[in-house]
Amino acid sequence: MAEVFEVTDEVKAQYGVEGPPWTYEATTTSIRMYARGIGSVDPIHYDVDFAKSQGFRSIVAPLGYIGTPTFHPDTNDGTFGFPRRAGGGARLNLPTKGLLDGGTETEYLDYICAGDMLVETSSLADVRVRGNMVFVTNEAVYKNQESGKVVAKQRLTSIHIG
Amino acid sequence: MAEQTYFDDVKEGQELPEFTIQPDKQQLVKFAAGSGDFNPLHFDEKFPMLKGMGIADNIVHGRFKYAQVGRIVFAFAGYKGRVKKFGVSYRGMDLINTPIKVKGVVTAKKQEGGENIVELDVWTEDADGKKTTPGTAVVALPSKG
Repeated sequence: MAEVFEVTDEVKAQYGVEGPPWTYEATTTSIRMYARGIGSVDPIHYDVDFAKSQGFRSIVAPLGYIGTPTFHPDTNDGTFGFPRRAGGGARLNLPTKGLLDGGTETEYLDYICAGDMLVETSSLADVRVRGNMVFVTNEAVYKNQESGKVVAKQRLTSIHIG
Repeated sequence: MAEQTYFDDVKEGQELPEFTIQPDKQQLVKFAAGSGDFNPLHFDEKFPMLKGMGIADNIVHGRFKYAQVGRIVFAFAGYKGRVKKFGVSYRGMDLINTPIKVKGVVTAKKQEGGENIVELDVWTEDADGKKTTPGTAVVALPSKG
């Protein structure tokens, strides 16, 4: 039986090739919305004055939330919101019967607070095939737009089902 | 608002205060809105892909469980600590309206690069005790002194 996807030399040649950057926003509203979504009642995610009293710049993004990608119907996926970047980056003809999350790992170099604008660049890190599933790992680096400092690095594995 | 954890008080094998969540559809719709992930797998029980997977109800977002693991890690670090890294694998599906325990345990403590480092195993667990979202975390904690 043929594999649903083959990790060819052409695929491997795309490892580490960065796509165009994309802007992510963390706002008071988006952080509160995410915090509500996970059921947190920690005031550090809701109350600006309280967060400042604890030494933070503003309310703090819950772990797992690194801002929301700026959205435009022409450039972002309507279901997941992620950007469909034009030019650059990896181009894979992956199976499309289903899409699941495989894993998430985040390295934090700073907390993300409301008001932060982040510039994300990502690249393909790994592709593996198991049966009818293709595990695709991307690495993303997030820099604070104002300071240029890297604030987070994230490895995301998605499972494409064929 | 969690009580601050200090490096001095942490012991290997120490369990983190666990909590249980049981997300209903409204909670997952709130998460869809907050995260931007509107995959119908998580809120439409008639979505055809579920039937194809032999599943009768909606699946909890993997990222929702990642965030729950994030909550237990963040609470352990406290406002004066710093979460340096945390990651999970999505090994098992949890269905809507089922209890999910969120747990963690200290696996190591050491001083490294001038920081008080604590390593954790963290996970979510379904009603059968299966770890559906196992992972690890690294946290820097303040000292009392």
